[in-house]
Amino acid sequence: MKNGAPLLAAIAALGSAAAAALHANPAIVGGLATIALLAIAVYAGALALALNAPSDLSEPREPCGPSGAPEPVVTRGGLFGRMWVAALGAFALAGVVPLVSLGRRPRRHGTAWTKGARLVTPEGRLLRPGDVAIGGIETVFPEGHVGSPLSATLLLRLQEGVVSLPPERAGWVQHGNVAYSKICTHAGCPVAIYRHASYQLYCPCHQSVFDVIFGARPVAGPATRPLPQLGLDLDDAGYLIARGDFADPVGPDEWWRTT
Amino acid sequence: MILRRIERFFDERLGSDAWIREAFAKIYPDHWSFYLGEFALYCFIVLVATGIWMTFFYQASTAEAYPSVIGFSHATPIGYLMRQVHHWSAVVFVAAILVHMGRIFFTAAFRKPREINWVVGVLMLVLASVTGFTGYSLPNDALSGTGLRIATSVAMSIPFIGGWAADFLNGGSYPGPLLFGRLYTLHVYFLPVTIGILLSLHLGLLVYQKHTQFVPDATRVVGRRFWPDYALRTLCALAATVAILLALGSFIEINPIELYGPYQDWTVPNPAVPDWYAGWLEGALRLGPAVEWRIFGHPIPAVFWPGVVLPLLAFALVITWPWIDKRITREDRRHDVLVPASAAPWRVGVGTALISAGVVLTLAASDDQQARAMHVPVEALVTLYRALFPFGSIAAGLIAAELARELRSRYDRYGTENERVVAFVRNAGGGFDEEEPKSA
Repeated sequence: MKNGAPLLAAIAALGSAAAAALHANPAIVGGLATIALLAIAVYAGALALALNAPSDLSEPREPCGPSGAPEPVVTRGGLFGRMWVAALGAFALAGVVPLVSLGRRPRRHGTAWTKGARLVTPEGRLLRPGDVAIGGIETVFPEGHVGSPLSATLLLRLQEGVVSLPPERAGWVQHGNVAYSKICTHAGCPVAIYRHASYQLYCPCHQSVFDVIFGARPVAGPATRPLPQLGLDLDDAGYLIARGDFADPVGPDEWWRTT
Repeated sequence: MILRRIERFFDERLGSDAWIREAFAKIYPDHWSFYLGEFALYCFIVLVATGIWMTFFYQASTAEAYPSVIGFSHATPIGYLMRQVHHWSAVVFVAAILVHMGRIFFTAAFRKPREINWVVGVLMLVLASVTGFTGYSLPNDALSGTGLRIATSVAMSIPFIGGWAADFLNGGSYPGPLLFGRLYTLHVYFLPVTIGILLSLHLGLLVYQKHTQFVPDATRVVGRRFWPDYALRTLCALAATVAILLALGSFIEINPIELYGPYQDWTVPNPAVPDWYAGWLEGALRLGPAVEWRIFGHPIPAVFWPGVVLPLLAFALVITWPWIDKRITREDRRHDVLVPASAAPWRVGVGTALISAGVVLTLAASDDQQARAMHVPVEALVTLYRALFPFGSIAAGLIAAELARELRSRYDRYGTENERVVAFVRNAGGGFDEEEPKSA
């Protein structure tokens, strides 16, 4: 025991280094290092116990304070006079400027969608109304802007006539194809799960549920706003195109978004 | 021989032998629970060591971050191990801090004169969590990218300055061009250096003010000598901590970003849960009410309440606890002797209620997985957790306080500290009376 543990530690440590040099499995490298450290722990612990040292040694405990000085160090004169406080305070306030310059108010309103932009999959494939099967779903972007922030959109195909939208959006559906923003209005996660049986979109982050029949309005979970809808149209070649940008701001809300 | 010469070298120039002798002779109170903080300290050391190694490979940009992490993980013999041990150390670090803090809380070690160290400790807990989150985000994998996006949305929800706050991190709309540079600066420089400074303060105050003890004698520090007794014990704790972290990193895979893939704006892994210490915030976002108030036309997004207000309230409550405790106990004397937790059942109740609230929120962070495993609708679990968050926590607190009260009365009856022997005598009416104590 007396020399066994440190010897084991030394051998295991060298073994770990050798295993690493030979590109061995990380579990072997780490396992040997673990053994080395365990041996050191056992050795140190055993030595401490073998000391059999008393645990009731004592030294006096003198309080660190109060120091009992007759006069306080901080007085109203000196550095804590009013003018000093005013000058230093103003200087500290001016220090906000470099802090503020670290951020600026970003423009979040527009996405890359424009009138007539053709819908493409992330792989760049153009889409016709029949390309997505009924009950199917596809992530789409405006052509030439795959991956553009806040532009990710879900294209769903439902049975024709199922969708129930306000009259002004009547033309936004093309042969059962309907498109909503994929960015959750709650915390900005991609709304990635679709259940065709209940016509509901689920956000995997916080379980907000949106009803795609009724304009993707929130029906459960913490979201408060519908997923913005993208109006669809067909170009002359029969490909799906956007009627313009989303009708409502995309993504989570913020103070300055007053529309 | 060489050690002797080194010692003499410094002693001739600094007179260091005197204070080494003093430091070696110093007495440290001993109890198993006093090692909890040391585990946290040693986790931090492992984090710094493994972290420095990784900084030599990591590329802080949106495009390069993920490939650089995958690269050093698999192109170097120990890269994978470094990353695994680093991640495990981070999650164990926060856990160790919390358990240590629980010991301080329940034994009332935060009382005068140690309020400063309580505040320093709470700040380190917050910094450890934030450092953990920024580090978890650095690889820019599909899971952590989603976490960053949520964090950005929460920052955006702050009234008036939200857009600026979100931009502060991103340097533009999410995912901004400066995001990874700023995360990297925060994670490898600003946050760990701040933790290091606070840690030095924490330990300096501990040595200067001297450790608390259970031995009920406020005039003396009772414990073990530092050298060699306590030094060997803490060396054992250090080696054991590193061994545990190495074993975890070697044999249990954590955060397999190879499986998640790189982050893309429009994809997310399912299920999506953060590291455990961020779970309570994720759970709060899931349970938060679906309300969006408007003030003069300006929206207050739903995530503001669970994402900003709740953590700020929790932070305010915890960091001011020593002063709240003074209000409740109505005393402000200095205390160097710890109390057993059961001595103050109300404090046990408060602590248990707070822990329970945290546990409920953390459980809520994986409600979708529980719903799938138990074949119940996730909405039902949300309702359950919304009820458990206030009422379950209060109930748990009351039960814990009652148990502590029971324990205390048992100590009072049978304990050696408050031993009181009573003899009964038969009285004229046939009943029993306590015997009159004999005057000394």
